[in-house]
Amino acid sequence: METVINTIIGALVLSSMYILVALGFALLLSIMGVLNFAHGAIYMVGGYICYQFAVEFGLNQWLSLLLSTLIMGAFGVLLERVCFRPFYGDMYRTIVMTIAIVLVLETTVNVLVGVHIRSLPAFVPGIIKAGAISLSAERLVTFFIGGVLLLGLTLFIKKAKAGQQMLAVSQEPEGAVLQGIDIFRISAVACAMGCALAAVAGSLMGAIFELSPFMGDYMLVKAIQLVILSGIGSIGGVLAGGLIVGSIDAVLPLFASGAVTQAVGLGIIIVLLLIRPRGLFGREVT
Amino acid sequence: MIETEISLRASGRLARIVAYTAVLVISLLLPLWIRSPYLIHVFNLTLINIIAASSLRLIAVSGQLSLGHAGFMSIGAYTAGGLAKHLGWAAWITIPVGAVATMIVAILVGYLFVRLRAIYFSMVSLFFGIGVLAVNQVCEKFTGGYAGLIGVPVMFAGSKVQNYYFFIGLTVFSLLALYRIETCRIGVTLKAIAQSHLVASSVGINEAGYRVFAMGVGCFFVGLSGAAYAHYFAVLSHSSFNFLASVNMLVYVLVGGIGSFAGPIVGTTVLIIIPELFRMLKAYVPYLFAAIMIIVIFVMPEGLVGLPGQIISWIKGSRERKDTHAP
Repeated sequence: METVINTIIGALVLSSMYILVALGFALLLSIMGVLNFAHGAIYMVGGYICYQFAVEFGLNQWLSLLLSTLIMGAFGVLLERVCFRPFYGDMYRTIVMTIAIVLVLETTVNVLVGVHIRSLPAFVPGIIKAGAISLSAERLVTFFIGGVLLLGLTLFIKKAKAGQQMLAVSQEPEGAVLQGIDIFRISAVACAMGCALAAVAGSLMGAIFELSPFMGDYMLVKAIQLVILSGIGSIGGVLAGGLIVGSIDAVLPLFASGAVTQAVGLGIIIVLLLIRPRGLFGREVT
Repeated sequence: MIETEISLRASGRLARIVAYTAVLVISLLLPLWIRSPYLIHVFNLTLINIIAASSLRLIAVSGQLSLGHAGFMSIGAYTAGGLAKHLGWAAWITIPVGAVATMIVAILVGYLFVRLRAIYFSMVSLFFGIGVLAVNQVCEKFTGGYAGLIGVPVMFAGSKVQNYYFFIGLTVFSLLALYRIETCRIGVTLKAIAQSHLVASSVGINEAGYRVFAMGVGCFFVGLSGAAYAHYFAVLSHSSFNFLASVNMLVYVLVGGIGSFAGPIVGTTVLIIIPELFRMLKAYVPYLFAAIMIIVIFVMPEGLVGLPGQIISWIKGSRERKDTHAP
């Protein structure tokens, strides 16, 4: 019973974090057509900035989380302005650009902090006991934060003007421009939001697991899996895709070892894509 | 008019042949000047990567941007290495066997992935590359698992120079074959498919078949380079074929210039040799790598290969501007 509930909680925590990172990736891909390989590195840097404020400078950990989010959000605006805007619509050059960003970010962390694996202290230490079942409070809070952010984001996209504009640009850029939507402004907002969400996820995951300069690579692959599985251009689909990938990652380790899990997980996703070549909720790409 | 165009094209072709021959002669004579085994080792590494990047470009020409190429390279490497180590086969047999094995896997995979287009293909090939490594770790008996495959018999144990000449031969063979395929009718067909698969199939081109063909041929050569890699390094670690290695190959192609055959050759050479020359920077070397990439994408839209053309047109342009300013 306890295993079952813990697995469910684990699946939800992983799913919510994957979705947070993947949403930023999906926004950039569908709005700007940028395949942002740097998203994993941004996630990692977000975790490290939070670590820097909380552990090295001794600030309140929640405040550090907020600061890290704001800094990465500002970085997102910079990224859009300097790195992505000059190459709008040129996929090859943006790929090279994002890989250069990965190199710069990972090397900077490597030089400044070193490759030693660090860990943020728990945001909420302790265990919640409900009857015979004990749950880690940290995980519950992480899931709660992830859920609230996702809810907020969904509302933002559904209700706010900027959110609707994002949706319009991701569906049909030319039509959106004809309606007087400033694509670059929307891209900047999307980029800032994506980076901020990745920073939140990086900080929270840094407390549950650990921080290392290369932790982003794993997350990047997960985010790509999720976005491709749910289909490009569908932001709501990311939620469903996240639950699928998160559940696969939380349930399979119960039955098999790490490498087998990875192989089977990838196999499931490849088969799903072969059955539905444009993702579960995606649009056709030519 | 037409005659001048033909003669221009012929002279361009002659210039290209002269340039390629000059590069070949220089690289054949290189070990006479450079005695340092370390530098020869760097050259060997460059040659292996040139084969891999050029073969990646052939797949890209058909409109399929593969991000799992290192995974295919690992199939060739582990097949050759495993056969040589466990069964004691000679390198002359295992290298072709590794290449053919990679090709067979690529044809099967390419056939499965033929429905996936553009970015979906890229991403699924990425997952495939990661999946190959995961499977690799599962089959621990044959591949050595996480620790890596140690003790593959080395082909030329004596000196790195012998290896160098072997790799030159292998590279020349691969590049000639790839060049031939790209310039003949098949290459034109592949480019047509990349431009519009609908138009291509409407004029009766077997689009799926050609795309699978491109995958097969491209992966044959990357398997060849992987197998040669196994017999050169003697140790295979799965981290040399990870996702980052695939991305690196793509970067070599893109920085060199994906539009031209010389692109991957130039890109690989520049991006491997320049950081090696500055290796005293140690942990800061990736900055140099990133700086080259950023300069290239900002200044040279066609990649490093386009640089001479850009300089020529820039000089011509400034001369014309001078003429117009003159009263």
